Amino acid sequence: MAKIIVVTSGKGGVGKTTSAAAISTGLALRGKKTVVIDFDVGLRNLDLIMGCERRVVYDLVNVIQGEAGLNQALIRDKRVENLFILPASQTRDKDALTQEGVAEILEKLQEDFDFILCDSPAGIERGAQLAMYFADEAIVVTNPEVSSVRDSDRILGLLASKTRRAEQGEDPIKEHLLVTRYNPERVTSGDMLTLDDIREILAINLLGLIPESEAVLRASNQGVPVTHDISSDAGQAYSDTVSRLLGEDMPLRFHELQRKGLLSRMFGGGRR
Amino acid sequence: MSLNVDSAAVAFTFKGGMLPMTVMELSSADPERIRQQLAGKLSQSPAFFQHTPVVLSVEKLDEPHLALERICAVCRDHKLLPVAVRGGTEPVRQSAWALGLGWFPPVEEGRARVLESVTSSPVHEVTREETEVSEAEAPAIATRLYRGTVRSGQQVSASEGDLVVIGAVNAGAEVLAAGSIHVYGALRGRALAGIHGNTHAGIYCRELEAELLSVAGNYKRSEDIDPQLSGRPAEVHFTKEQLEIKPLG
Repeated sequence: MAKIIVVTSGKGGVGKTTSAAAISTGLALRGKKTVVIDFDVGLRNLDLIMGCERRVVYDLVNVIQGEAGLNQALIRDKRVENLFILPASQTRDKDALTQEGVAEILEKLQEDFDFILCDSPAGIERGAQLAMYFADEAIVVTNPEVSSVRDSDRILGLLASKTRRAEQGEDPIKEHLLVTRYNPERVTSGDMLTLDDIREILAINLLGLIPESEAVLRASNQGVPVTHDISSDAGQAYSDTVSRLLGEDMPLRFHELQRKGLLSRMFGGGRR
Repeated sequence: MSLNVDSAAVAFTFKGGMLPMTVMELSSADPERIRQQLAGKLSQSPAFFQHTPVVLSVEKLDEPHLALERICAVCRDHKLLPVAVRGGTEPVRQSAWALGLGWFPPVEEGRARVLESVTSSPVHEVTREETEVSEAEAPAIATRLYRGTVRSGQQVSASEGDLVVIGAVNAGAEVLAAGSIHVYGALRGRALAGIHGNTHAGIYCRELEAELLSVAGNYKRSEDIDPQLSGRPAEVHFTKEQLEIKPLG
């Protein structure tokens, strides 16, 4: 049975799709059979970041409406084995998604895959709620700024109330915090919230910290998930994040201004 | 009301209710000593003595016979209206009934909570307690306990009693209670205590960063809160016709 993980944030532009692409790539690189689903119907982006936009024939909405089979719509990644993409429709809107349709697709995918990543649209409306509804775990992507933290807080409230696990009284969704676009320099100068501020407000387990990096923009525009760029700080940070998602203990990196000795002492195992 | 088809035929209906009551806990049975103490209190806080209904608690007294009639007269002279007696011996119960007062059984240990006293006094303490007038056997005080973070967009309320939050109340969240609100964490959102008009309700928190504080409809916004109190443990009460925010402890 595959684990269903939603990548969500509430606020737009914080790096949900980048993170969904990078983490699913990381999982596949470690041999986990992974599919990443774009729930942002009408504002399709994941295919661009995964570099498969020219191979999209059928999409999520086609499958839900019975116009195509699931296997016709799944796109196999060219770089990594075990990685598949289910793109969103660019021509429809989010009302084309139905809970039954999504349930059916996830059920079928669960038989074949180890991980199903749902790339949520921004906001808290239908698309976002459907993306999170069936999740077992959630990666909440947050930027070090006040509005992003507040929106993430809102999403955490919805994860605890408006999801299948919450409604059926099962174990709650496992929540992970992923801080992205973290710039230690601007944190030190007071322009950005510190990691400790964010963790104190959101009070959930930290999965990873991705530094603000030129590599991310480059990767997006080239359509190559940044996990492939192992020489970059962001690529390494996503790789660490994937390790933690798989239960490994990794020290936290890139959150302080070039003082590596000190940080490993301060943060011990890197996860608390 | 809509269910009451033949409303002309019904003279009354019984309803359960939780009313805030002042309990006057006697530690002396001497009406003269009570009179002296009450006179002092009346001059300190005249607003309190306005035909306020009180329950005379005699649980702490050892005396089998009480000059209950004289004690009641002293109370009425000072604009306190005894409505019932709590505890005491069988003769005390009989004389309460003879005086037209109700009688309540003594409260088990630990149930009575001293929420507020007009001043600390050896003779009597004014305690406030919810007194229930309903069919239910055990009058449970409905304190709601919430564990975890109250997140932006969430609302947690205790419609009858107090609300205790073990965790933070984040910005954009709202906590409400008919009684007091206790937050064992940071209070960053809105907190409204005494939503049914209980001015004795209070708000207590480990870290004050609230967007809005309100007791019985009297509110302060974050910009009205002294920045010096920000981020510190604080308590909020309604005193002298306004909200008072003080450091806790």
